[in-house]
Amino acid sequence: MRKLAWLTAAALLAALLIPGLALAEDKEIKIGVIYPLTGGAAAEGRELRAGAELAQEIANSAMADIDMAMAKNAGIKALGGAKITLILKDHQGNPQLGADLAKKLIEDDKVVGILGCYHSSVTKTVAAVCERFGVPMINDSSTSPALTKAGFKWFWRTTPHDDQFTKDLFEFLKGLSEGKAKGVKAVPMADLKTLAAACEKTEWGTNVSATIKRYADEYKFDLASNLLYAAKSPDLSAEVQSLLAAKPGAMLFASYTSDAILMMKTLQSMKAAPKILWGQDAGFEAPEFVGTLGDASVGVLTRTVFTPQVAQVKKVSGQVNNLYKEKVGHDLSGASARAFTGLQAWVYVLEKAASTKPEDIQKACNSITIPGEELVVPWNGIKFATQGEDIGQNVLGMGMIGQYQKKGDKITLEIAYPFDLATTNLVYPFPGF
Amino acid sequence: MEAIKNALDFSDFPRLDLSLAGAVFAFLLLFPALPHSSFAMATMIQFLMFSLYGMGWNTIGGYAGQVDLGKAQYNGIGAYTTAVMMVRWDVPFWVSMPVGMALAVGWSFLIGYPLFRLKGHYFSIATIATSLVLKDLFEVWDFVGAATGLQIPIRSKLPDFLYLQFRHDYYYYYILLALFVVGILYLNAFRHSRLGFQLRAIKDNEDVAKSLGIDAHWCKIKAYAVATAFVAVVGSFHACYNFNIEPEDVMSLDLSVLIAMMALLGGAGSLWGPIIGAAILVPLKSYMGDWLGAASGLEGLNLIIYGGIIMLIAAVQPRGVWGMVEAVRARRRGGYAAS
Repeated sequence: MRKLAWLTAAALLAALLIPGLALAEDKEIKIGVIYPLTGGAAAEGRELRAGAELAQEIANSAMADIDMAMAKNAGIKALGGAKITLILKDHQGNPQLGADLAKKLIEDDKVVGILGCYHSSVTKTVAAVCERFGVPMINDSSTSPALTKAGFKWFWRTTPHDDQFTKDLFEFLKGLSEGKAKGVKAVPMADLKTLAAACEKTEWGTNVSATIKRYADEYKFDLASNLLYAAKSPDLSAEVQSLLAAKPGAMLFASYTSDAILMMKTLQSMKAAPKILWGQDAGFEAPEFVGTLGDASVGVLTRTVFTPQVAQVKKVSGQVNNLYKEKVGHDLSGASARAFTGLQAWVYVLEKAASTKPEDIQKACNSITIPGEELVVPWNGIKFATQGEDIGQNVLGMGMIGQYQKKGDKITLEIAYPFDLATTNLVYPFPGF
Repeated sequence: MEAIKNALDFSDFPRLDLSLAGAVFAFLLLFPALPHSSFAMATMIQFLMFSLYGMGWNTIGGYAGQVDLGKAQYNGIGAYTTAVMMVRWDVPFWVSMPVGMALAVGWSFLIGYPLFRLKGHYFSIATIATSLVLKDLFEVWDFVGAATGLQIPIRSKLPDFLYLQFRHDYYYYYILLALFVVGILYLNAFRHSRLGFQLRAIKDNEDVAKSLGIDAHWCKIKAYAVATAFVAVVGSFHACYNFNIEPEDVMSLDLSVLIAMMALLGGAGSLWGPIIGAAILVPLKSYMGDWLGAASGLEGLNLIIYGGIIMLIAAVQPRGVWGMVEAVRARRRGGYAAS
């Protein structure tokens, strides 16, 4: 009993004498992460979560074999090695729940900032909460252009938005007609001129649909059909019939996972044979897309921000992808790569701010430049706009278009655009189902 | 005068019920002063919102026995009226809310008149259809922001009572609590009113009610309008509380079903039923999502348990939790439960 009392006293004395040590060990920086972990976009949610958790792991431990500044130190160096702690929440695709969770993270969990939320509709309500509380939010994966047009002071977005992604598509089609695509001779414009688009009708898909219409006019394409559909719809045959009636050269889609798969299966059953089949990311690049459709996905194009082929042109992407594959069992996807980059941006901002005060973080966000070579995604870097129309938008982001191709037994997403980064010859026209 | 007397007349409830209700009200009044997390506050706000939705639904679904699964359309009309008036013409909440309520009630007359020619399941299906059609229209109507919806700009100075913009949730809480009390008093008057008795007669046997000279069609339309007014007010509140609305959020079928489910689970056709339903389901949904959700890596399990509890209550007592209470009381009295 006496021995125990002595030990306790000694422990107390030690704790009093070396408070710095005790503090350094306990120091943590809480980041609230809100993703759709259940509901229609649960598959993407799992990817996002795994991406953010890998970035956290790299930030919190020194990893000599990763060529990234955040892998050199264990924790945030400017904050005495403080570790990043993620507090994960599931918004189920519900904007109201997202806002409630943001309040909980800010007021109850006292997070330094927020990362999320994938669905543009949820990001909007969460950003409004952050704005009211004056808490910084970095958005990694919502692509509605409206988000950076609201003039928020506490909102920054790393990913390019749909405006840029859709413009990439039209640049790609134009380049295809000019013979710029790798391994394909100049395609007569007449073959591609007629377009048909089907976008799911939430905030995101509606915006994509409007952007497609705008760029089709600007690039002088003929958008013969531009319809909206419900992502939860159990049957898409009427929509597909309407698309086929337009006899398009290229079919364009904005779909989440289950509707992207249903759309493809319906196209297959109706023997659709467009020259180009393009999807606006999301469902078209979820791992389930290839997993479910198998060979039927070969030749399909999707805009993305990451394919494992990026490793061929970027060493650090390969290093992180290998780690991810070891942990999760498959390659990084556009969703996980963007979540990784979002949390990475948080780490660099905290290093620059050397503080967890919201005002200091705000200042750091508005002045930071993260070089492109630090990132897994093939962007020129991260720098947020502080003036103009798109306040808080990363101006150094860049989209890509990938194409599913069969290499041996495996289906991989090869880079088709930008043309100078193309990793293999483009498969044109779409080989059919 | 008669209505005010009726609103304050709770004498037909046992003393135990009134004591419990008084204790619950005292708790609700003091809640913001008690130590609580902001998530608990958000959950309480949801509880009050769904209680009000449920009280409204109870007039048509409970007292009149017409299972309405299209209430979200009126929530949408209320929310959109407030948002459009605020965003486009800078009109305060206290003006836009009654306008939204009037528009929703007007729309309910237009919809209700033909719909109440239908009965039973046909009526329920028709309410779903009208709600979904309106949602589809809003999704392509540019004036209301189409599928992107509307974002209410945050005012430079908070709190702002005119526009219902606050940094802290307890302001919203007390405004909702005031509406909640008004709702209970109104419903208490409603169940004692001529219309209340007529509706219960229609629910028990419509043909007999008609033979007694009750205009069943008109009674149902009136009850439908009352239900609509409740839902539209909450819709207006929702727009200010969330700062952002879009059709999928305020007019979804999920919301319509949830409103009906909470009232049915608590006990449709009773004054306390919808409140009990919301008090069980709202915290259950919120907290199970939080405890068994993302943090524990068991996401999805909360939804399975949530669904299981709903099925269990529905199987054990189709008349909801209040039905169970009444059954126990009837057994003690040695008689049958009152219907």
